[in-house]
Amino acid sequence: MQKEADIRDPLILGNKTYHDITKDISRPVEGKANKYWWILFSLSLVLFIWGILCMAYTIGTGIGAWGLNKTVNWAWDITNFVWWIGIGHAGTLISAVLLLFRQKWRMSINRSAEAMTIFGVAQAALFPLIHMGRPWLAYYVFPIPNQFGSLWVNFNSPLLWDVFAISTYFSVSVVFWYIGLIPDFAMIRDRMSATISPMKKKLYSFLSFGWSGKAKHWQRFEEVSLVLAGLATPLVFSVHSIVSMDFATSIVPGWHTTIFPPYFVLGALFSGFAMVETLLIIMRKVVSLESYITIKHIEYMNVIILLTGSLVGTAYITELFMSWYSGVEFEQYAFLNRATGPYWWAYAIMMTCNVLTPQLYWITKIRTSFVATFILSIFINIGMWFERFVIIVTSLHRDYLPSAWTMFSPSFVDIGIFLGTIGFFFTLFLLYSRTFPVIAQAELKSILKSSGSEYKNKK
Amino acid sequence: MTKAKKYWKGLAELNDNPLVEKLKQNEFVEEIPVDKFLGDKELSSTSTSRRDFLKFLGFSTAAATLAACETPINKVIPYVIKPEEITPGIANYYATTMYDGHDYASVLVKTREGRPIKIDSNKSATNARIQASVLSLYDSGRLKNPMKVGVDTDWNTADAEIITKLNKIQNNGGTIAILSSTIVSPSTKQLIADFSAAYGNVKHIQMDAVSYSGILDANEASFGVRVLPTYNFDKAEVIVSFGADFLGNWLNADYAKQYVAARNPKNGKMAKHYQVESTLSLTGSNADKRIQMKPSEQKGLLSNLFSALNGGTADSRIAKLTNDLKNNTGKSIIVCNSNDTEVQTLVNSINNKLGNYENTISLSNPSYLKQGNDVDVATLIEEMNAGKIDALITYNVNPSYTLQNAEAYNSGLAKVGLTIATSLYNDESAQKMMYACPDNHYLESWGDANPSNGIYTLMQPTIAPLFKGRQFQESIMNWIGKSDYHVYLQNFYTDIDWNQSLHDGYFTKNQFAANVTLFEVNVPSFDLSKSEGVEFEMYEKISMGDGTQANNPWLQELPDPLSRACWDNYLTMSAATAADLGITNENVSNGALNGNMVNITVNAKTLKNVPVMIQPGQANDTVALAVGYGRTAAGKCGDGIGFNAFSLGNGNAKIEVVGGEYEFAATQLHHTMMGREIVKETTLEDFIKNPYSGNKQVTYATHNGEKPADQVTLWDEHDHSTGHFWNMSIDLTSCIGCSACVVSCHAENNVPVVGKEEVRKSRDMHWLRIDRYFSSDMTKELSKKEKTSAFDMYEKMEDPSGDPEVVFQPVMCQHCNHAPCETVCPVAATSHGSEGQNHMAYNRCVGTRYCANNCPYKVRRFNWFQYSDNDKFDFNMNDDYGKMVLNPDVVVRSRGVIEKCSMCIQKIQEIKLDAKNAGKRVRDEDAQTACSSACPTNAIVFGDVNDETHEVQSLKKEERAYTLLEHLNTAPSVFYQTKIRNKA
Repeated sequence: MQKEADIRDPLILGNKTYHDITKDISRPVEGKANKYWWILFSLSLVLFIWGILCMAYTIGTGIGAWGLNKTVNWAWDITNFVWWIGIGHAGTLISAVLLLFRQKWRMSINRSAEAMTIFGVAQAALFPLIHMGRPWLAYYVFPIPNQFGSLWVNFNSPLLWDVFAISTYFSVSVVFWYIGLIPDFAMIRDRMSATISPMKKKLYSFLSFGWSGKAKHWQRFEEVSLVLAGLATPLVFSVHSIVSMDFATSIVPGWHTTIFPPYFVLGALFSGFAMVETLLIIMRKVVSLESYITIKHIEYMNVIILLTGSLVGTAYITELFMSWYSGVEFEQYAFLNRATGPYWWAYAIMMTCNVLTPQLYWITKIRTSFVATFILSIFINIGMWFERFVIIVTSLHRDYLPSAWTMFSPSFVDIGIFLGTIGFFFTLFLLYSRTFPVIAQAELKSILKSSGSEYKNKK
Repeated sequence: MTKAKKYWKGLAELNDNPLVEKLKQNEFVEEIPVDKFLGDKELSSTSTSRRDFLKFLGFSTAAATLAACETPINKVIPYVIKPEEITPGIANYYATTMYDGHDYASVLVKTREGRPIKIDSNKSATNARIQASVLSLYDSGRLKNPMKVGVDTDWNTADAEIITKLNKIQNNGGTIAILSSTIVSPSTKQLIADFSAAYGNVKHIQMDAVSYSGILDANEASFGVRVLPTYNFDKAEVIVSFGADFLGNWLNADYAKQYVAARNPKNGKMAKHYQVESTLSLTGSNADKRIQMKPSEQKGLLSNLFSALNGGTADSRIAKLTNDLKNNTGKSIIVCNSNDTEVQTLVNSINNKLGNYENTISLSNPSYLKQGNDVDVATLIEEMNAGKIDALITYNVNPSYTLQNAEAYNSGLAKVGLTIATSLYNDESAQKMMYACPDNHYLESWGDANPSNGIYTLMQPTIAPLFKGRQFQESIMNWIGKSDYHVYLQNFYTDIDWNQSLHDGYFTKNQFAANVTLFEVNVPSFDLSKSEGVEFEMYEKISMGDGTQANNPWLQELPDPLSRACWDNYLTMSAATAADLGITNENVSNGALNGNMVNITVNAKTLKNVPVMIQPGQANDTVALAVGYGRTAAGKCGDGIGFNAFSLGNGNAKIEVVGGEYEFAATQLHHTMMGREIVKETTLEDFIKNPYSGNKQVTYATHNGEKPADQVTLWDEHDHSTGHFWNMSIDLTSCIGCSACVVSCHAENNVPVVGKEEVRKSRDMHWLRIDRYFSSDMTKELSKKEKTSAFDMYEKMEDPSGDPEVVFQPVMCQHCNHAPCETVCPVAATSHGSEGQNHMAYNRCVGTRYCANNCPYKVRRFNWFQYSDNDKFDFNMNDDYGKMVLNPDVVVRSRGVIEKCSMCIQKIQEIKLDAKNAGKRVRDEDAQTACSSACPTNAIVFGDVNDETHEVQSLKKEERAYTLLEHLNTAPSVFYQTKIRNKA
């Protein structure tokens, strides 16, 4: 039993009891979906199917189906990849780093944030695969013992580091998430009737791995959580650092920047929290979790967004300063062109959304408003997509030799695949919200007596 | 006493163990438990049921079948009897002569398994069209069968009918006309004479699509001989060209070589080159000083020059030029593109005044490459229209397309009783004639040529005719009851060693040439005036020439060296004139270029919706359109592309701006160097003072003081101290931008053609490109002086100057020894070779394109689609004939992989093996890449820098040598020599 300062605001509203929590969390799983869920789900599914068709078309005809050219060889594909990977970061930060720092407010949101991570990384992982000219040979990037002679992967290549970074991140995230889910699956299992829904009962019995709530189980559960949090924490920083090295280790002006690893990690957290907000603000309404995801949670996240957003802004300005200070004309031109060249509008969107928008959170009224936060979170999501677009396309389209300078314009397939991943993401998330306990209720119950509104008010 | 040795197999045998004997009797140590197995009752109750067994069987069969689907079936037909001269895998080379009525060259043809696949130069230089001509051989759009009024027939029928009709005409005393291109073949001329003798009233008229009649007529007036002189640009110290594109299309592909010989900065002397022209030509772009004028000013300026040389005052524009000419009498050349006899007479007088005849220009050693006569052609058309011609035989010409007054010709054609076209194509003209007789391509033909006095080259077939064609000479012989041109040709040259000459491809022979002296002529005089309004002139593009090879996809996709656009012709216009007319060019969202369109009327003829390309260097109030486009019967690649400039003719133009935008396909969308040191250049004066001028080394400040870029490195160096180390030197002073290397590279390396739409998307596949940069009016120095902001400076730098200096820079894979591409490939598909090349393993490539992003030279090309056997890319690689040109030594890349210049590794391997077999070292002259061997000016030199006998080794030590973007320290194996201009 933990103590908490009385002046802290309650984290669970509505005078909930333990049983109330159980009921609230299992309601979406046990009940029927409402109209909104079905509308959102059908829309997502349509987008997802459209995306699959676009991917099939690409694989069937060639990467030429996209808008790329001899100068700009990456554009929306890698933009989307980095964007999705970045979105994943908040989940791991919330569940691992905040666990280590004993931030109790994470308990209402970590499950969904981590689900978002996993679904986001799944979208991201699609792009390195489908952006290949010959995706059917994708296994070449794994160091598999083979009969090709001395052929082996190139450990110098940041793309190979990506393979390891992302697969490690994905697997650790999945395991961490799953371990946390076990007691909650057991809770659902226990509430299921073997006569009314035998299949579901069987399924949840299997998923809960025979959890019985013994003290030994809890002890191991806590230990494993801590160990995994320790493992996942460096991954929060390593994954996006390595993704940034795809750019930083190259020699393209605008990419070749040592600031990239911290800059990318901060950007990832920034965009990740924005996406968590977008999702949770919808979800608390759709599955009636207003008592658990409170304005306090949103405010805490807004503070993180304000911090990381300001740091990202500093990174942008540092980058500009360094390019000027370097005295290298290619660097100078790359940034001049970024801000004032043919893609000035993309740069302007990025600057507005990522640097100006979070500064609004200095204002308490905005920071503590669901509506304002929702709108601003969308802005940040857009801004962070454009950040990656700006970095990739404006650097490539005018690099060293002006003879090769050209521009990029997306084809309908580029757009279709991006929309498809959004559809895929939401399809997964909506399915998750109907089948998984969306809040780590077992954990949450541990703070009911310290942070529940009823108990706070008693004092 | 003999004692048989006994060997025992083991101690048991030695000890006579009875078991040994027992085992010997018993072959199977243990009985095979067949009965036990069959008697096992469990067998029938095994867990694998019959159903399961059938499932397994079905699955295995299906899996095996699917696995078998993978391999496509290719038919290989082996030789039943191996031809003596063909060894599969070994190339044969034949010397022959390329002549298509427009271009001439003595060439060496590489054949593999009996198929010609590559053209190299033999005794004369090659240009892009000559390099590409091998693909025209395999053009499935050629005329394959004799045709009568558009219907296929056979030779026997056609011949019988033609002979009957010719005889009838002869009996009626009718006139037969033969309209041909310039005939450079003496034996063909003799055959035509034989034909004339057989049929009596025969007229032979020669015409050139791009006429040189003016010069020929002027020479006849001045010297009494209707020939072209040979020009010796290598002997000149001042070269003045009034519009003649002698480095590109004018007369002869050999001039570039002479020109560069006269301009070698190493000798401390470069011929000063002035170009006075309205349309920026390849030659003009190489000039030390280019003077813009309107076409109507040409004769006035020439007249002014003549009077200035005779003591008058020169116009301010040509004052310096006049002075230079006066100081270099007997060491200058004036050439002019005019087709006006009077203007050319004036040019002759100027050259005579300067004492250039028999010094730099030789008439006693004439050239026979152009003999067309405009007057004869005009007379023929009149006679045809008057019904005075009873039979017309055409050969190698396409008058319905190339004549300005094609309508008159066509109407006359209808009045000729018998019309016979001998042609490679069923082209615009052949379609209008009664008989279309397929001619043979030069690679399928016998022949000879007499390009200039005393020089003869021979043509020999390198492949049996692909279609039912018959060469013109054979047809003519057939129609006079003779046969076998091969024998005729051999008998024509009885005084030479036939086999040796055929092997060499040429022979020399004393030839009579008139000893010429300049007649007294009235030197025409013209006012220094110009006509008002916009003037139009036609010009030739390096890729298309007169349009003979319009159906050649390599040429269609060859970017124009100046506009860098392909698959089009367009009206070139200066930015100022365009602004006056309200015409713009702009880049759309994917960077591609769009232009406005106009209707242009010249000589009462109108072309509608012609796109305008804003071309720096085009004189104000002038426009130009390339000939060779607007074909309607060229074949699937050439039809419907561009507009026919021949139909307009030169003259004053009326331009009317119309709505709509035209989509260009340009391979370079940005035209200036943006103040970067990409092409390093200096002037001859500075170079003589300091050979390093313009080639300042990039240094970095380190804790040990300033260090050159190549010493500040994190790389582990490759060991190139032993073995070969292949390097390439590209001299930017001698590169004239002619693009022969680009086509040569296409042919050697099976580079795919992607078509206009893909080029427009910046997806051209050229392994070797020739970057062209224009100077801008804004420079860093000017910006510093005027204190403009960096924003303004860079914005202004993007605009090329209206009177630009031009540089060309061939860029292929630089084969970096610190290659940025190699480090980033996740699967090590691109890695470094032990001989300095950057290799590309296509079958390892998964296509992440990271290498292409990280290549600072942007030379890596991605296969966005499957470019072979794909109906969407219906070019030579989607055609059974077109595919015959593919080089079997180079793999055809599949979609999804990166490709790039390999430094012709297949050629290097071949010479290394040859040298090894011969037990010798690789010789310098054998070490050639496709580009270096095609270069007419020897600007590209390839070789082994570890071998002191190789020229490239000394070139690497030159003061002018530098590597592109050297501050990156990519350590390329390709290096450049600074560009030097003679600005004195």
